[in-house]
Amino acid sequence: MLKIENLHVKVDGKEILKGLTLTVAPGEVHAVMGPNGSGKSTLANVLAGRPGYEITAGSVTFQGRDLLALAPEERSREGVFLGFQYPVEIPGVNNVYLLKAAVNAARKHRGLDEVDAFEFLTLVREKMRLMRMEESMLSRGVNEGFSGGEKKRNEILQMLVLEPRLAILDETDSGLDIDALKIVANGVNTLRSPERSLVLVTHYQRLLDYIVPDHVHVLVKGRIVRSGDKSLALELEKRGYDWVTGEAA
Amino acid sequence: MSSAALSKRLLDEYLAVRDSLPAGVVSAERRHEAIRALAARGLPTARDENWRYTNLRPLERARFVPAVSAAAAALPEAAVLPAVLDGFARYVFVDGIFAPQLSSPGEQTGRGLTVRHLRDTAERSTAPSGATTVRPVARALPTAVGSLPEARLALLNEAFATDTAAIHVSGASDAWQRVELIFIAAAGADAGASYPRVHLALDPGARLALVERHLSAAGGAQFVNSAVSVQVGQGAQLNHYRLQKAGVRSTWLDTLSAVLSADARYRLLAVNSGGLSARGTTHVQMAGPGAELTLSVAALGDKQQVQDHFALVEHIAPRARTEQTFRGIASGRARVAFNGKIAVGEAAAGTDSRQSLRGLLAGPEAEIDVRPQLEIYTDEVRCSHGATAGKLDKDMLFYLLSRGLSDEVAQRLLKWAFLEDVVSRIDIPGLRRQIEHDLAGQMADAASLKELL
Ligand SMILES: Nc1ncnc2c1ncn2[C@@H]1O[C@H](COP(=O)(O)OP(=O)(O)OP(=O)(O)O)[C@@H](O)[C@H]1O
Ligand SMILES: [Mg+2]
Repeated sequence: MLKIENLHVKVDGKEILKGLTLTVAPGEVHAVMGPNGSGKSTLANVLAGRPGYEITAGSVTFQGRDLLALAPEERSREGVFLGFQYPVEIPGVNNVYLLKAAVNAARKHRGLDEVDAFEFLTLVREKMRLMRMEESMLSRGVNEGFSGGEKKRNEILQMLVLEPRLAILDETDSGLDIDALKIVANGVNTLRSPERSLVLVTHYQRLLDYIVPDHVHVLVKGRIVRSGDKSLALELEKRGYDWVTGEAA
Repeated sequence: MSSAALSKRLLDEYLAVRDSLPAGVVSAERRHEAIRALAARGLPTARDENWRYTNLRPLERARFVPAVSAAAAALPEAAVLPAVLDGFARYVFVDGIFAPQLSSPGEQTGRGLTVRHLRDTAERSTAPSGATTVRPVARALPTAVGSLPEARLALLNEAFATDTAAIHVSGASDAWQRVELIFIAAAGADAGASYPRVHLALDPGARLALVERHLSAAGGAQFVNSAVSVQVGQGAQLNHYRLQKAGVRSTWLDTLSAVLSADARYRLLAVNSGGLSARGTTHVQMAGPGAELTLSVAALGDKQQVQDHFALVEHIAPRARTEQTFRGIASGRARVAFNGKIAVGEAAAGTDSRQSLRGLLAGPEAEIDVRPQLEIYTDEVRCSHGATAGKLDKDMLFYLLSRGLSDEVAQRLLKWAFLEDVVSRIDIPGLRRQIEHDLAGQMADAASLKELL
């Protein structure tokens, strides 16, 4: 599904990712953990195609194609989804309009007709119920005036409607209360399937109780310094990053 | 052409046609006064502080005489006209002259509302049959027409005017009167100018919703100089929607002067998207205590367009409120400017004014200028203003791209969102749909979805 090899990335002339290698097979869930500033969001952004990152070495292949050669909108249409750590507010752009435009962009890409308006709304409403979101949020501006937790739920709603092949969720659990965490995790789990892969960036092992990962990686200073199974997250929680950074140093 | 030579030509053109200009619209004396005052002062030049952003070159080339003859002969296709708005009486003027065959006054001229076009009334002071409450239209301004340097093009209109839409609403009532005025410029600038002219008078307590559209017959390059005067009586309410969609090769110049009495409420909303060179001047005097003005302007410029707007709000009486909103987008090589000045006089204690002016630069060669100006001569006022000009927000753009939207659609959506603060104030659903449709092509789809929810 996704193959990242020896990825080096600079931001404003400063190297942030320093030779990152990661392979995600179809159906797998990978958790990426690591201290603040270690480069987790940089990785997520680079995969989604955000401008401002200079890739100085390495490669990323997604379903056999050079992902880095695609424009951000093409990556999305090919099935890459980024759940933002800080979803931006876009007043005046209607939530439901964005959803529909996004769905239609992906459908057009696959040679399908535009989605039927009624069916679309039925689907969106169903997903909203799953995310326990007020229907009135649909007619508001994208994330406009949403609380931190509501924004994260909205990201997951978009993901559920778009049904990506690869979802990268950047700290979707941060800022969620206990109930919301379960709702979000439940939403994510409905999407798990043998054809779909997930990369979860998180600071908290609690999320991984609900969305059980196949692999856990620790990112420190732009490199994956340790990988393991779910027990690695538990151990990190107990011993802190010093444990791995100490080893890495 | 030198300014003196231009004034000379202006006078010559006036002298050549003055005898054929209808006295029922503007008396010969007033025309004379107007042309003299204008010639003496000279037409605006780029050296005048508040005209710097206007493209004034068309004035040098303009033929000022009205394009009277063309009007009747070359009526534009009905297709030019937008769909009729529910409940609105429509009056259409072609090249500044009333065109009854395109109008549909309907039942409106009922209680309290009088709409006249003054051209055919000649010098008769009697009312046309059927109308019951006709009275002479009062001079709109306590100050003389065009005495403000920025408003001097109203003098040009006064000198050459060929007709007037005179609307008078009498009597306090909770019921809203609804009128739509459509001005179509048809004759090319080489055949002369078009002079739309409107007098609005609301008696105390009266209510009027007025849609005023400025359009062009397809393809032509027209020269339009409109003048609108507005009196809102005590406690009266006027909702005024002005849509400027002149042809892309046209010159559109406009002067609106309004006086608000005590507790009057004036909601003026303008969407300016047409013309090659457009300039609007808005002068509002808050003459009565407790008057309220909401002035919202959206301007869109693309390609080589120039969209310039000057708005002066004078707080003369105490406790009046102004809310001024401007949203402008400059794409291509367009130049978009808004100069919003609020002057608070000595007697205007308790004034509350807010300005939010924002410009969006959407083209590498585009230019945008938003300027708030405050002049305060009293204490005890609350004035806030914010003015920003910048490019599309990169984070917002990336967010939309990351959801699969093309760059073009994403940009259009964000531009659309940028105008929302103004467009959302259009509370006539049919009109709002038309404008949304105009502004954003496929965004009409967003509107229809909204209704489904
Ligand atoms: N535009 C930028 N200019 C300069 N430095 C940047 C820029 N963007 C990111 N960085 C730096 O890159 C490093 C990695 O940032 P990144 O956001 O990827 O960290 P993170 O692992 O996601 O951290 P957190 O856990 O706090 O979200 C940080 O040191 C950050 O300051
Ligand atoms: Mg981060």
